[in-house]
Amino acid sequence: MPALTFNKVSKTFGDHTVINAFNADIHDGEFLVLLGPSGCGKSTLLRMIAGLSDITSGDLLFDGSVANDWEPKKRGVAFVFQTYALYPHMTVRENIAFPLVMDAFRKWYHLPIVNIVARHRLMKRADIAERTLGIARQLELEPLLDRRPASLSGGQRQRVALARALVRNPDLYLLDEPLSNLDAKLRTQMRSEISALHHKVGKTFVYVTHDQVEAMTMATRIIVMNKGIVQQVDTPDEIYDHPANTFVARFVGSPPMNLIPASVSNDALQLSGKLPVDHAAPLPSRRHMTFGVRPEKLTLHPAGEGRLPAQVAVVERLGAETVIGCRLMTGEENNDQRLLEHDLVFVRVSGNPKVRIGELCSLDYQAGDVLWFDIDSGDRIFPGQE
Amino acid sequence: MSASGLRSRSGLVKLLPYAFILPPMIYLMVFMFWPLSRQMYMSLTNTRIVNPNRGRFIGLGNYERLIEDPAFYVSLKATLVYTVLTVIIGVALGVVAALAIDRPFKGRAVARAILLFGWAVPGVAASLIWLWMYNERSGVFNRITELLGLGRFSWLTSTDYALGSVLAVTVWQVAPFVMLVVLAALQSVPQEVREAARIDGADGISTFRAVTLPHIRPSIQLAALLVAVWSIRRFDIIYLLTGGGPLGSTSTLVVKLRQTAFEGHELGMASAYGAVGLALALMVAAIHYTAEQRRMKRMSR
Repeated sequence: MPALTFNKVSKTFGDHTVINAFNADIHDGEFLVLLGPSGCGKSTLLRMIAGLSDITSGDLLFDGSVANDWEPKKRGVAFVFQTYALYPHMTVRENIAFPLVMDAFRKWYHLPIVNIVARHRLMKRADIAERTLGIARQLELEPLLDRRPASLSGGQRQRVALARALVRNPDLYLLDEPLSNLDAKLRTQMRSEISALHHKVGKTFVYVTHDQVEAMTMATRIIVMNKGIVQQVDTPDEIYDHPANTFVARFVGSPPMNLIPASVSNDALQLSGKLPVDHAAPLPSRRHMTFGVRPEKLTLHPAGEGRLPAQVAVVERLGAETVIGCRLMTGEENNDQRLLEHDLVFVRVSGNPKVRIGELCSLDYQAGDVLWFDIDSGDRIFPGQE
Repeated sequence: MSASGLRSRSGLVKLLPYAFILPPMIYLMVFMFWPLSRQMYMSLTNTRIVNPNRGRFIGLGNYERLIEDPAFYVSLKATLVYTVLTVIIGVALGVVAALAIDRPFKGRAVARAILLFGWAVPGVAASLIWLWMYNERSGVFNRITELLGLGRFSWLTSTDYALGSVLAVTVWQVAPFVMLVVLAALQSVPQEVREAARIDGADGISTFRAVTLPHIRPSIQLAALLVAVWSIRRFDIIYLLTGGGPLGSTSTLVVKLRQTAFEGHELGMASAYGAVGLALALMVAAIHYTAEQRRMKRMSR
């Protein structure tokens, strides 16, 4: 099974650099998720692994040998496309068997008439027919084998695409946003099915998505990318609890991490410029930075009890929990005539508390849950270690 | 608004579609279906050109004469050979040209313009150009064959070459059209499906067979239908190049129709030729329609 190594891989289209000196290792058997916003180069990266896009510079190693120019076939990969890319005029059976038929194909089968006979006989060959049927059974596609993709639902097409990927038993599975065309409920279901599939086949999966929930739930490791540059490579837990910079902090988690501009003068912390806070822990030794805290680490209190006075602006009731967006009371809110709410601080509380929009409240936090970021570069900073 | 006002308005809305199709319907009735039925009726009479309104009804007399006339079978055969060969060669060349020009390369726009040229030239102009090139004494083709030491050929006046020469001009005119239609289809072949075939280990030819060809097949079929129907009723190229000769080797039904009407002065008989041509064209359309229906049915299963 291949271990993949990226060695300063770059990709440019004309003057436009999509991926800049990408370095990473993909270990055997892991479920690696490439996470990032649209256009960050993650799909291009996946296509490079598959051999569908050329590498402008740098090396891609399969088990230590340079594979930049290998044909897709030689790499032994399976690819699941966002649009599924099924062959529309073939039945489900022919779609699933197509990789096997192509493996058994000889050059002289291209001759006219021979081609039709050869393909017909290959479809009927015992090993191909059995393997096709076996995979179809595993993915519960057996009743659909003689249908064509046009008459299938989105979820069924998705399963046919997976079956076609599985049938050759490849060592490496590449999935390019395979769930983005499904409705929300089906997406949740397919998410757990793909996770289960990874456990069963035990092969390497590389999965591209812009959905942080998919990344968090499925991945054994996540590479967070932005604008062709790797932001962080780590396990889902580490990425959530210890984001390397404000981009990761904001991209992972829903609602995202609260990032509040902060300043220090005379060893006293001020949030949002005006609000003095008694922090009771070591502060970074610089004047300006960003104060970050996850919504679930904040606690909601009646007005006056917490350290951060606030006013409720948004309430999202999700049933088991409630997300409340608050405006910090810095003393300037009466001048604020904007209709849209920016810079809200979100707090996540369990259950369904009785809060109303406009109500005054207060927030509080534990000093240990606070992360500090550089105000310009966005990089994480550690008080006392600078 | 009152209830009756609403009702009369919805009545108007219901009538609106008919109001829109009325003008084209009238147009088609006056200029197509009326002449067509006149022609059909005329084919059952012995109308002569000297007195077109004094034809006598003779039933299927014209058709009986047609069936017994060997010249009719020569004409029918010429039409069928001409049509089938035009479709096969024209569509094949058009598809090959479309495939060649589908990939981006330098000078693609120029190449496409050159390939389209044949279609852009009016049929009469094209025929005159080719007439010069086919000229036995000064034509460019005979110059070339003489240089090659093959001697001169009577391109348009020998029964061996006449149909081939006419075919060459027809294909030159028809292939660019096929190319245009197929090119449009080719440019909508989903790239991801081609890539999926590459991942699945298909080589170029297999990818073409599995992905590209099924996608462009409806367009090829439509182009073939149009080329076939046009070939059945093509007049300008054939008439200008050979006038139907030599010895009727290029006298398709349409050329024969003109000859019967304006040289033989038999309008009734000419109408019978026209009816046969129409039946042929309708048959081709029916074949296309059946094939299309079956394909749609198969794809939706």
